[in-house]
Amino acid sequence: MSQRSELRQQYEIIGSLQPAIHTPQNWNYEIPSALYRAYMHPPHDVGGQRDVPVHYEEKEEEQWELNTYVTCEVLAWRGVWNAEERRRRADNDLGYTLYLGMPYYGRWIWAAARMLVDKNHISLTELLEKIAEVKSRYEAH
Amino acid sequence: MQTTHQHAGGGHEHKAAPTVEEITDFEVLEIAVRELAIEHGLFTAEDHRRFTEWAESIGPAAGSRLVAKAWTDPAFKARLLADGTAACKEIGIDWAEPTGFGTPSDYMNFRVLEDTPTLHHVIVCTLCSCYPRPLLGMSPEWYRSTNYRRRLVRWPREVLAEFGLILPPEVEIRVEDSNQKCRFIVLPVRPSGTENWTEEQLAAIVTRDCMIGVALPRPGRTADVHPVHKARHPVHSSPSMRAAE
Repeated sequence: MSQRSELRQQYEIIGSLQPAIHTPQNWNYEIPSALYRAYMHPPHDVGGQRDVPVHYEEKEEEQWELNTYVTCEVLAWRGVWNAEERRRRADNDLGYTLYLGMPYYGRWIWAAARMLVDKNHISLTELLEKIAEVKSRYEAH
Repeated sequence: MQTTHQHAGGGHEHKAAPTVEEITDFEVLEIAVRELAIEHGLFTAEDHRRFTEWAESIGPAAGSRLVAKAWTDPAFKARLLADGTAACKEIGIDWAEPTGFGTPSDYMNFRVLEDTPTLHHVIVCTLCSCYPRPLLGMSPEWYRSTNYRRRLVRWPREVLAEFGLILPPEVEIRVEDSNQKCRFIVLPVRPSGTENWTEEQLAAIVTRDCMIGVALPRPGRTADVHPVHKARHPVHSSPSMRAAE
């Protein structure tokens, strides 16, 4: 994010991710019950919602996707987390923007990274340094 | 990945040439998480390799054999409908693999939904992507899509028609919502024109889509045809992305 124009572009994308607000939200002293219930609805509980017909296509699996699946399962196999906390909290309880916007396995690997930090297996600094190191390793080609 | 380099003292920037092997943000994150987990002893590279080997060994061929055997062996079919997980062992599928207690995500509880000429089943997981992995392998991406999950439970006839499966109105459709505690496959009606076929011949027409319930088996139909979105770095194509090798 070295350029002002890049920063502006980033802010524009972030702006477009904000939920469409049809009622003023500056002073939320109270909210109607129906709105409260809607906020409480889990984003992943989508059965029965309207949508348009689409072409159902196959997707060839990426190597990182298979690796992600295996990493998440092996973390559970070795007791670092269990399937319920992975599914219900880590993969799904992300809010609508992330839940609907991230790729399927993107949510998985992001959830695993967040869990390792939350449970103090690794520090956030360690994770960020590792990410930078992996990037530089591949960019050095 | 496009990157910019700041030259010390130079004060100018330029775009680096795209590298031969570009790497995405998720690929970077996947490598970082896996390596950190191994470095911290949360699991071993050997654990990862063993689980990968299992994940790559599963696929819909096991389900096809199961259905073909149920079509040709009424006693087996009865055992299969009574206790799906136990009957799977007869065709060499053990739901306890690869850990001894199954995968951490899949409970060892499996049921078979038997179609009749007037009843058709189709499976979904409205909450996410629960799927009978030991019998069908990894779920197709469309099965995990919000679109399929949203619409199938309310407009099953329409969604099936989009898959090319148009069922007459007298056929009742039952949608089974899979969950973390129970997995399903559909046992379709054995199609006419397959009398005297061997199990192997029968298995060839029982495709993955037939066992999900979005297609029906028939002689000559041996593959599920959908448009394919190609991977950038598909499994096996990219040695440097591969774990533990």
